[in-house]
Amino acid sequence: MIEYFFGVVLPYAAFVIFLIGTIYRIVSWARCAVPLKIPVTAGQQASLPFLRRTIYDRIDNPSSKLGVVVRMFFEVFLMRSLFRNIRFYYEKFEIVDTRWLWFFAMAFHYSLLIILIRHLRFFTNPIPDFVKLVDWIDGVMKFWVPPIYITGVLALASLAFLWGRRIFLAKERSASLPSDHFVLLLFAIILISGTLMRYIVKIDLTNVKALALGLVTFNIPSYEVLHGIHWLFYVHLTAVCVLVAYIPFSKLMHFAGIFFSVTRNMPNDNRMRRHINPWDPNPEKPILVREGLVVHMDYNKYYEMYKDQLDEIAEKGYKVGGEG
Amino acid sequence: MVEELDRIEIKQRFPSWKDWLKPITEKDFKPGIYSYLALPKQVDSDFFRTPYGNVERDIHDKDWKLPENWKEIVINEMKDTLEKNRAFKLFLDICVRCGACADKCHYYLGTGDPKNMPVMRAELIRSVYRYYFTKAGKLFGKWAGARPLDENVIKEWYYYLYQCSLCRRCALFCPYGIDTAEIVWWARRILSKIGINQRFMCISIEASARTGNHLGLLPGGMAGALEMACDEIKEITGIDVHTYINKKGADILFVPPSGDYFATPHWFTLLGYIMLFYELEERYGLIITWSTYAGEGGNFGTFHSYEAAQLLNSKIYKEAERLGVKWILGGECGHMWRDKHQYINTMNNPPKHPEWEDPVNPITGTRFKHVTAEHGWVHILEFTADLIAHNKIKIDPSRNDHWKATYHDPCNLARAVGIIEEPRFILRNVCNYFYDMPEHTIREKTYCCGAGGVYLGDEMMELRIRGCMPRMMALRHVVRKYGVNLLVTPCAIDRAQFPHMIEYWKIPAEVAGVHELVGNALVMTGEKEREVDLRGNPLKGEE
Repeated sequence: MIEYFFGVVLPYAAFVIFLIGTIYRIVSWARCAVPLKIPVTAGQQASLPFLRRTIYDRIDNPSSKLGVVVRMFFEVFLMRSLFRNIRFYYEKFEIVDTRWLWFFAMAFHYSLLIILIRHLRFFTNPIPDFVKLVDWIDGVMKFWVPPIYITGVLALASLAFLWGRRIFLAKERSASLPSDHFVLLLFAIILISGTLMRYIVKIDLTNVKALALGLVTFNIPSYEVLHGIHWLFYVHLTAVCVLVAYIPFSKLMHFAGIFFSVTRNMPNDNRMRRHINPWDPNPEKPILVREGLVVHMDYNKYYEMYKDQLDEIAEKGYKVGGEG
Repeated sequence: MVEELDRIEIKQRFPSWKDWLKPITEKDFKPGIYSYLALPKQVDSDFFRTPYGNVERDIHDKDWKLPENWKEIVINEMKDTLEKNRAFKLFLDICVRCGACADKCHYYLGTGDPKNMPVMRAELIRSVYRYYFTKAGKLFGKWAGARPLDENVIKEWYYYLYQCSLCRRCALFCPYGIDTAEIVWWARRILSKIGINQRFMCISIEASARTGNHLGLLPGGMAGALEMACDEIKEITGIDVHTYINKKGADILFVPPSGDYFATPHWFTLLGYIMLFYELEERYGLIITWSTYAGEGGNFGTFHSYEAAQLLNSKIYKEAERLGVKWILGGECGHMWRDKHQYINTMNNPPKHPEWEDPVNPITGTRFKHVTAEHGWVHILEFTADLIAHNKIKIDPSRNDHWKATYHDPCNLARAVGIIEEPRFILRNVCNYFYDMPEHTIREKTYCCGAGGVYLGDEMMELRIRGCMPRMMALRHVVRKYGVNLLVTPCAIDRAQFPHMIEYWKIPAEVAGVHELVGNALVMTGEKEREVDLRGNPLKGEE
C-alpha cells in the first residue's frame, strides 16, 4: 500500500501545497504598498532630442509602459541583468566580462523547461505534435539507443557548475545557506534518477504513463500498475513532489517574484507622471509635522526666525552683487 | 588619518554560514570604518526628532541604551515596513544568493569584508526576517539561516548598514533587480525608531530642517557667499555681475546642493552657475533666482528615512509657490537627483499656482518632454546642453585647453535618472580634451566615490579611502594613458570626497564640476580678455 502513498497521495498533496502556497505568496506581495517609483535606470534617459539613445538605452531605461514590457521580456526570458555580469580581479585590478554564470543559468532554466515539455508525453494521450517535435529535436544525437537528449546533458552539466561554484568559490560558499544546497540536492536527485531511468535502468513506461494519466484525469490506477513500477521511479517522483511543495516556502518563488520587482517593472517617467503613495496620498505637510514630532518650518516660521537677515535681502531688491 | 594609512591591505576571510550568523559586537568595530552615533542635539531637536533620540550614546560602549521594549519596536516596525513597501518584502523573499552582486560593491572590493557583499548585507536583515516572519525560519532556526534579535544584531546592523552608500550598483547586476539599497534604507529607518542614527547625516538633516541647508548657513551668510562669488567673477571677467535671491516673480527657481555655497572645489562651479545666469539675463532677460528658504537640493534625509527625506524636500515646492516661478532648475548633485527625480513629487503635492507650467526652456523654446507640471524639475545639465545645442550661448572651448578632462558619473544620476549623455555632450562642447574612463566604471556601471550616502566625516576616512579605490584605479588608468588632469563630476559629495582621495592615492589630477568648465568657456557679453580660469590658473598661452 506504500505505493499509493508515494504514487498518489504525495503528488496530489504536493500539488495542492504548491498551488495554495504560490497564490498566497503572490497575493501577499500584491497587497503590499508601493510607496515610491524607483526603477533602476541602466541607460540614457529619454530627454533631449539631439542626444543619441541606442537600442540598449531604450530597453534598459524605458519611459513608457510598453518599454517596461520589453524590458521585462528581456529580463525574464534572456536574463539581461545577469548578462551584464563582470568580475573584479584583485591581482591585476582588472575587471573582466564574465558571462559564464549567465550561460549556465540560461542553460539550466531552459533545459528544465524543455524537459518539462518532454514530460507532457506521459500526461497526454494522444501525444500532441509539438511535444513529439521537441522530443525529436532534443534527441537529435541518434548515435546512441535511445537517443541522447541534449537538454539532459546540459541540465546535468549546468547543475554541476551551479553547485560547484557554491562549493569551490569562496564568496559563493560563504553566502550559501543549507537551503540553497537542499534545492540543488533535490535537482540532482531528480536529474540523476531521470537519467538513469532513461539510459540504464529499464522501467516499464506503460505503467508510468498509466499512473501519470490517471493522476491528471483523477482515475486512480490499480494496485498492479503502481506495484509494477521500478523503485527508482518513486525516488524520482518523491524528489519532484518535495521540490514542488517546497517552492512556496523557498527562494524558488523568484519565478513569480521577478514580475513584482519594482526596480525593473516601473517606467522611468517619474517627471512625467506623478506616483501617489498609497499610505500618504495627500502630503500637504510632512509626516513628522503631522505627527507633531517637529515644528512646521513653513515660510512664516522661517521669516520669524531670521527676520533681520531676510529683510536686509529684501532691502537690496533681492539682488546680490552688481553695485560696486 | 590619511597620513597614518600609508598602506592599506585587503584581507579576505570567508566565514561559513554558521559563523556569519553570529553577530559581531562593538569590540569588532574597526576604527576608520564605523560612523559615530547621533547625539541628542541632532535627533532630539525641535526641527528634527526621532523616537528615543534624547539619549547620548557612544558607539564604543557595550550598552547602547536602547529603549526597554526595543525588540518589540523593531519587530513591529519590520512588520509595518513589510506592509508599507513591496520592495522590502519582495527583496527579502526572492534572493537566491547567486552572488552576482558580490564583487560589484565598491566597499566590498575595498575592504574585502564578506559582510560587505550586497547579498550578505541584506542577509543580515533577512536572517532576522526569517526568524520572525517565515515558517521555515520559525521551524528550523539557524538551519534555515534564521537568527533571533539581540543587541549585538542591532550593533551589527548599524555597522554594516552604514557601510553602504545606497549607490544601487548591485541592483543593476542583480538578475531580479534586488535593490540592496532599498533594504538598507528602510532598515536604517527601523533603527531610527529605537534611537540609533548616524551622526554625520543627522547633523546635516537637523541643520537643513532648521535653516534650509545642510551647512546651517543663515540667509545673510548665503547672500554673502553669493556676493563674494560675484566679486570674484568681476575680477576674472571684468563684468559687474549680479544674481537674485528670494526674488518673487522670477521665471525659474534654482536649487543647488548647499556644498556649492562655499566648499572647494564646489565654489568654482558656483561661479559657473552665476556667470551662466547673468549671461542669460543680459542676452535674453531670463530671471533665475536662488532661495534661502529652499537653498538645499542635496537631501540627506534620503539616506535616513522616507519621513526625513520628506521633511527636507517639502520646502522646495512651497518656495516655488511663494515665489511664483514657472518651474525649478536643479543644480549639479548626485543623490539630490534621486530625491528630486523619484521622490519629491510623491512625497509632496506639486505646486498649483497659476504661473506653474510644463517646463519650457524660454530661450530655445524647447519643451522638456520628459518633465511635466506634475513634477516641474529640470536638471541644469539638461538645461545647459539644450542651450549649447541651439547655439544660444557663446562658447570658447580653447579656454579649457589646460585641462584634459574625464567624467565621473554620479551613481544616482546614472542609475536613478539616466542623465549620462547630457554632461558628455556639454563637456565635448566646452573643452577640447575629453576622455572617458574604462567602460566598466562609467555610465550605468559607474562606481561610487566611496562617500555617497553619509560618509564625509573624518572618523570613517579609511572606509572612504577603501571604497574609493575602484574609482581611483580607473582614474589612474586614464591619467597614465591620456594624461588626464581633471576629474569632472556633477555631484557635491564627489567634489568633497575626491580631492582627499586623489591626495591619498597620489594621482596628479584635480576635481571640478561641469559648470566650472562651462564658466571657463562661456564668452560673456562685454567681458575683458580672460587671462586666468575660474581658479586663477593662467590659461594656455597666457602663462
